[in-house]
This record gives sequence, structure tokens and C-alpha cells, in this order.
Amino acid sequence: MFENYETGKVFDEMFAEPGDPRAHYAGVARSLSAMNADTFERRRRMADVLFRNQGITFTVYADKRGVEKIFPFDLVPRIIPADEWDFIEKGLVQRITALNLFCQDIYHEQRILKEKIIEPELIYGAKMFRREMFGVNVPRNIYIHICGTDLIRGSDGKYYVLEDNGRTPSGVSYVLENRAVMKRVFPSVFNEYRVRAIEDYPLNLLNTMRHVAPSHAAGEPTCVILTPGVFNSAYFEHTFLARQMGIDLVEGQDLVVDNGFVYMRTTAGLRRVDVIYRRLDDDFLDPLCFRQDSVLGVAGLMNAYRVGNVALVNAVGTGVADDKAIYPFVPDMIKFYLGQEPILLNVPTYICARPDEKKYVLENLDKLVVKSTNESGGYGMLMGHQSTKEEQAVFAEKINADPRDYIAQPVVELSQAPSFCDGQAVVSGDGTRKFEGRRVDLRPYILYGEKVIVMPGGLTRVALRRGSLVVNSSQGGGSKDTWVLEEEDES
Amino acid sequence: MTLMFQAGTPTPPALASADARPMLSRDADSMFWMARYVERAEHVARLLRVHGVLLTDVGDLTQDLEAQMWQTILTTFRSGELPEGDGPVGPRIARHMTFDLNTPNSISSCIARARENARAIRESISSEMWECLNAIYWSVQADDAQARFEDSPDDYFYGIMTSSMLFQGLSNQTMAHDQRWNFTQVAKYLERIDVTARVIDTRFEVLTKMEAESDQPINIHLMGVLRSCCSLETYRRLHLADLDADTVAQFLILQRDFPRSIRFCVDQARDALEQVRKSNGSRSPSAPERILGRLSSTLEYTDINEVLTGGLSTFLQQIQTTVAEASMALQKTYFLY
Repeated sequence: MFENYETGKVFDEMFAEPGDPRAHYAGVARSLSAMNADTFERRRRMADVLFRNQGITFTVYADKRGVEKIFPFDLVPRIIPADEWDFIEKGLVQRITALNLFCQDIYHEQRILKEKIIEPELIYGAKMFRREMFGVNVPRNIYIHICGTDLIRGSDGKYYVLEDNGRTPSGVSYVLENRAVMKRVFPSVFNEYRVRAIEDYPLNLLNTMRHVAPSHAAGEPTCVILTPGVFNSAYFEHTFLARQMGIDLVEGQDLVVDNGFVYMRTTAGLRRVDVIYRRLDDDFLDPLCFRQDSVLGVAGLMNAYRVGNVALVNAVGTGVADDKAIYPFVPDMIKFYLGQEPILLNVPTYICARPDEKKYVLENLDKLVVKSTNESGGYGMLMGHQSTKEEQAVFAEKINADPRDYIAQPVVELSQAPSFCDGQAVVSGDGTRKFEGRRVDLRPYILYGEKVIVMPGGLTRVALRRGSLVVNSSQGGGSKDTWVLEEEDES
Repeated sequence: MTLMFQAGTPTPPALASADARPMLSRDADSMFWMARYVERAEHVARLLRVHGVLLTDVGDLTQDLEAQMWQTILTTFRSGELPEGDGPVGPRIARHMTFDLNTPNSISSCIARARENARAIRESISSEMWECLNAIYWSVQADDAQARFEDSPDDYFYGIMTSSMLFQGLSNQTMAHDQRWNFTQVAKYLERIDVTARVIDTRFEVLTKMEAESDQPINIHLMGVLRSCCSLETYRRLHLADLDADTVAQFLILQRDFPRSIRFCVDQARDALEQVRKSNGSRSPSAPERILGRLSSTLEYTDINEVLTGGLSTFLQQIQTTVAEASMALQKTYFLY
């Protein structure tokens, strides 16, 4: 099944050369080669049924056919050796530490502005900067408790950070479910390896929440997850995490604020809530403070939050740290706050708010990737090298209209990994199906509680369309199980 | 402006009793309707199945009587008029009550609503329950559902019935028998009382007419009523060859220890409500508990002859009204206060 597999010009996760798997992939290559396409196809269908029957779905807006879809699962695992992971982990810990110090600073002393490391316009121009948070002390000075950092691997084989998601990163439920399904569908392949366990994530998450509980709730704080509701695209994940942690999943309508405390409506009357993991954007949290038309939020929640009667996870206002125009400064933050050299590299970024950089971007629209600083999920992007003149002209106009809203980056060739997911593209000449390389990224999840815990692995997303560099689920992406290997025994 | 961790603000008590964790009102509401719709889907499937077999058994009926027989299904599930279309009435009603999503009580509608409610409380029910319900949902939504139905309606209905029973069995065996579970029990039994009362009422009405107008063997029809309530075998064991309308009515309404009789269901629903109330630490009976408690005493001390003299239909309609009142009181007490 790996005959004629092409490694191409980009970095291939599995093969150093065609026919020559990397050492940590040797076992998988052996097992999969021994399997014929029919067997593999049968396992794949089995996995699909498992996902569908468990209701592991996400919602695609703008798709009228049905609101629920299965997140396509690619059975070939992504494997990361122990030493490589060690490096990534150190880099991620450093990064989340700096980002938290940055949030603390930007909502208090603003030293980083006074020292002229970042232009104040960029901060105050950030849509996610929350002046309501200025001077507010958050519990234990933690702003970003949960971070999902997107990593990619360039042609040079080095890891780069593409972006940090410090608001409400999603996808962790797929990581856990992918693993569970993988163990059921491919037990033999799985058992050949010593893969680091990820199943303690929900427990770590609950401890992260309990760590910031208000002092009056000492002992048994009531923790809940706040969801926008059944129609949210990540609703499955909200229910999954609530179930895994054994806590209640609440909607805005279930909560009331009385005298500065938050309560939920139960069959036994009102019950105090102490920590809320909110999967709701800042904008919708509290109609008294943010968007007045929000029916998803809770009136008075911000007041209860500001006086410290309830903790919010993540804190309000963290969007300023994962703004795409602030992202280029993270290496500077690491130097400024920690006095360290950044371990993980950034992708070079041009900030259109700077006139000379904007000029360069406009002149090179056909070579760059342009992104809106406020959009995510693969929306509002221009892939320069694949775009038409008309599309470029549209973006030039947009950039000129609101330069603060845009950044640009050179095209980074994502690494590829073998994939057997896309039905049409992988039928070769003689009708047999085989593996083909598809581009992947990696989103590890970092928890910042009593200590920083990086989940070993993360969500490997794969662009199932041939040649596509966009891995978002809303744009036809799938995912793989990600295996971080245990350290080899010296003996 | 350091407002965090300020001392001096009095901390309100946690209010709920410590031993049992109260559930969200919205969750309780969804739990209730999930269980109720699953139970309803099972009744619809059973009635359609029994009807199909029964009408084959009894042979030729006048068109009028046959239409009336089928009409009882629509009446039982409050599903209004005969659906438009050509062809014999039976298959038309069967298709309508199986697939039509515009009919709130068709099998497909009930399953879809049960699943919507389950989805809203995905974290509160067991994975086994969810997977079971989800599998039924996808099977009635599947492209080949119509074909499977046309191939063998009997198999199709049987599949729905066993799925519902599997779901209820899983609820019993994979959930803690706490407040959540008790709400599913209340829902299940209230639904069963309501459907059973309507089945007896509508079918006995047609039976009376039939006795007067035709020479139809009434026994077969009484067996049909018992089968519709999943009660034939138990009835036979108890009453052997005595198959008459009064005994059937007595059995289905007043039998103390049979899970399909109205009296049994009323007692179970009341007990479940009592558990709910006790787990909230309250001593005096709640409003819905009182309503069902009164109904329970009536059933306990009623003689079937009194019922028959006073009018069976009136009695059954009173039961339905009482169930509706209990249902309303339940919502007011626990869901929508």
C-alpha cells in the first residue's frame, strides 16, 4: 500500500526517502504494509460508525444539508519521538508563561508599552482588548488557563508556531475520542508502541479550574461549563468535557446573578456557582457589559467576576494575546518578561498597520498568505500563490481600507503525512487504493493551573484535499491520532 | 481597584442539601421529555404492529369499521385527521404515523425529539444510552428506512419496540438511580398511563359498535386490545379462558402488580416523584405527588363494577385529565419556577 508513495518536496513525517520509513514509523509501516486495502477500508468504516453512533460530530454553518457532520478521521497515526516532544513541550511552557505575563502587564502597568516593545496603537486597536478588564486582578494572575497552540513543520523539518489560541480553543475532545477509537480499531498496531497516555486531560482540566476557585468556596467549589447551546459547532465537545469531568453543563438561561454571586437553577432551588469554564466569547458573556443583544450570556456576570465571587476560565480579555497582529511580538515578550531566548520559532509576519510593511505586502500579494487579524477557522484568508488577480485586488482594497485588520506571512509548506481518507483522490491507475501524502499541522493543548501541563500529543489536523494547505475542519480538514512516544529505556 | 478576594462580603450558603447533588432544571426537563418520547415511540410502533396483524386475523370487515379501527390510532396519539392520499386507509395511516415529521407523534418525530432532548443533556446520561438512542435515530433517518418498512412493516415496528426496551433497560442498568433516573421513570409511567387509557377508551367504543352492527368474533378484538398493551400473556395466565370486556378493562386499569396496568404505573410514577422530592430534602409531598397520590387511592379502592356503571369512558377521561394535571404541576414545581 506504500508502493509509489511520493514524499514530494516537503517534509514527510513518515518517510525520509520513498520506501524508507523513519525509525519511529517503522512499526506502523510494517503493520500497514501487511494489510490489504480492503482490510484497511473495513477498519476505516468501523471507525466511521463508531464516531457516528457516539454522535462525535461538529456543525458546519452555511451547510444546509444537515447541521451535523462527522469530523473525518484518518487512521494513519502521527508519531512524535520523545526527544522531539521534549523540545516542543519546553517551548510551549515558555510561550504560555510569557503570554500570561503579557496579559497581566497589559491590563495593569503596561510596562511592555512603556518600554516601547509594542506600539500602543496595536494594543488599543485590537478588537479583543477589553478596557473593562483594566486594573482587574484575576485569581492567581492566570489569564490563559487553557491554550491551544497551532504548530506546523516547514520544509526544513523545524517546528514553527502558526498561532496561539488563548480564548476558547476547541478540538481536545477529538483528541481523546480519536485515541479511544484508534485503540478499538487498530489494537495491534497501537500495542507495538509505547504511546504516552492522554486520558488524564479531563482530570487536569478540572484541577486547573479548581485552582482558581474563590476562597469562599474552599474545599468543594462548584465548577460548570457554560455553553452557547445545542446549535454551537463545538457542542459535542462541551458535553464531552462536562461528562468527563462530572460537572454540569449550563446555558446562560440556567444562571442568575444575585447580589454579586452567580447561581444556577436546579430542581432544588438556586445553587451557587464558583468557577465557570465558559465556551462563549467575551462579546456574549454579559449583556450588561458587552453586546446588549446577547441572549446567551448572563446579566451581571462581569460584576460578579470583577469582585471575585466567581472565576472565569479563560479570563476575559485574553483575545488581545492571540490577536494575529500581536503574535509577531511573542518572541519579544519571551525575552522581555522571562529574559530567555524563544525555543519555538515564529513564522515571519508582516504587520499591515506599519506603512512600509503594508507596502511590501501589497507588492507581493501573489506570494504571501494574508490573514484577517480577527477571523479564525480558515475564514477571511488569501492564499496568494493559489489566488486570482481579482481575489488579490479585493484583498488589496480591504487592506487599504483597514490595515490594522490584516497581516501577511510567506507561504509555509506544511509537512505531509500518509493519508487514506479521501475516497476519490487515492485510486491509482490500476484501481487499487493507496496512501498519499497530505498536509498536517498540530495543535497541542496546554493547561496553566498550579503548574503548567502540556498534554502529550494534541490534535493533528490534516488537509484532505490534495495540495491544500488549509487544515480547518470547516474547510474540509480531518484529523489523526497523535502519538507521543515514551522515552527509550537506556538499559 | 483591587476588588479581588475582598474580605467582608458575606458568603451565601450553598443552599442545596449536601448528600444529593441537585440537577439543573433544564436538564430535568430534557430528561423527562427524552424518556417520554422514547416510550411514546414504542407505543406507536406496537399499536401499528398489532393492528396490522389483527386485521389480517379477523378477515373482512366493512370498510367503515376498518377505517374506524385505524382511526383509533390517530385518536390515541392525538394526531388529527386521516392523511391525504390514495390507496387503502391502513397502509396510509401506518406510513403517516411511522415517517411523517409533520406529525408530532409519528415514530420518526418521537425519536428525533427524544434525541434532541438527549443531546441537550448528553453529559447527564450514560454513553450507552446515548449510543443506543443515536443508533435508533440514524436507523429511522437512514436512506433505506422506507424500503425496510415496505419490505416488512412488522420487522420495522419490532425493531423500534426492542430499541425502546433496550434504551429503558440501559437507563436502569447504567445510570445511578438518583434524581435524574427518577425523572425518566415519572415520564415513562405518565406516558404509559395516558396511552393505555386512550387505547382502552377508543377501542372499547369501536368494539361496542361492532358488537351491535356485525357478527365479528369479539374475542379476537379483545385479544388485540391486550396485545396493544403488551398484556395478552399475563392476562391469560391470570384469567385463563375468561375473555370478556369487563375483565379486560379491570385487568388493564386495576391490576396491582402488572407493569402495563394503569394502577401499577400510577403507583410507580408517584413513588418516583417521592424519591425526587426526598433527594431535595423536602418533607411534605410536592404538588404532582399529591395529584398522583389521590389517583392512586381512587384506583386502589375502586371496584370495576362501579366504574362500568358510572361509565368507563368518563372514568378513563378523568384519568387522562389527572395525568395532564400532574404533568403540569411537575413542570411548575421543578422546571419552570
